[in-house]
Amino acid sequence: MNKRKPTLSDDQLYALEEHLAGTLKPVTPPMEVVQRLRERIRFPQPEEIAWRLRDWNRMFLIFGGVMSGMLLLITIARAFFYLVGRRHIG
Amino acid sequence: MPDIEFNEEDVLVRASQGDRDAFGQLYGRYIDRIFNYVYYRTGNLHDAEDLTARVFQRAMNHIHNYTDRGVPFSAWLYRIAHNLVANWHRDRSRRQEIPLNDLPVLPSKGDHPERNLVRSQEQDSLLRLIRRLPSERQSLLILKFVENMSNAEIGAIMGRSEGAVKSLYHRTLLALRDQIGDQNINLDNE
Repeated sequence: MNKRKPTLSDDQLYALEEHLAGTLKPVTPPMEVVQRLRERIRFPQPEEIAWRLRDWNRMFLIFGGVMSGMLLLITIARAFFYLVGRRHIG
Repeated sequence: MPDIEFNEEDVLVRASQGDRDAFGQLYGRYIDRIFNYVYYRTGNLHDAEDLTARVFQRAMNHIHNYTDRGVPFSAWLYRIAHNLVANWHRDRSRRQEIPLNDLPVLPSKGDHPERNLVRSQEQDSLLRLIRRLPSERQSLLILKFVENMSNAEIGAIMGRSEGAVKSLYHRTLLALRDQIGDQNINLDNE
């Protein structure tokens, strides 16, 4: 049995490519879409925020920073009350 | 004009160091092309917008991993888009054919605006046929005709050799020609 490989003639190829080029044309995205996309990319997305919360190193540093700040405030407050209190009694 | 000032290598280095303005320049350069690809692959404006945003989001989060080993940045970006679109189709587990009224007619570049408001019946039929093709073949046609890419560039995105792309292209045209017979598309009247 003579099995022939299917082929495209040059004319068919040219015509088909012409049709495809006429159909699949580059489009311009609407301006509001481009603007919305730009805004979405500039600000962190929910998944990025979730990723940041899962980042233990960052969370440890944030927690350590907050605790150190609170200790410092308590120490200053205690020193202040100690000094004011002594003067008041004296 | 802005291309004279644009040094992609330099911008890429700055973007990979976390410079958002540099990434913004890359965004400005590639947004239209990525949107075009995603728009034709998804068939609707809403998903095209969402997926395009995810492509750039992912690119921004992973740009420090990008190294130019003969693969241009554009190919890296298209590969992200290609993978996200493939996941999108898999997640929705539906046929590629989407009602054509979901594929809004957007203004084409370089054409007179009034010509863009209608798509001919022939073009609609051909688009419908293209959307019935397997995913890889649709991507190939979009990259070739919408993005005007060479077989080598398409190969870099699809992870195939130039020869494999050429062969796939030929088989795609054959498949299209066979299906065109049933539609109102005349290949002889050109």
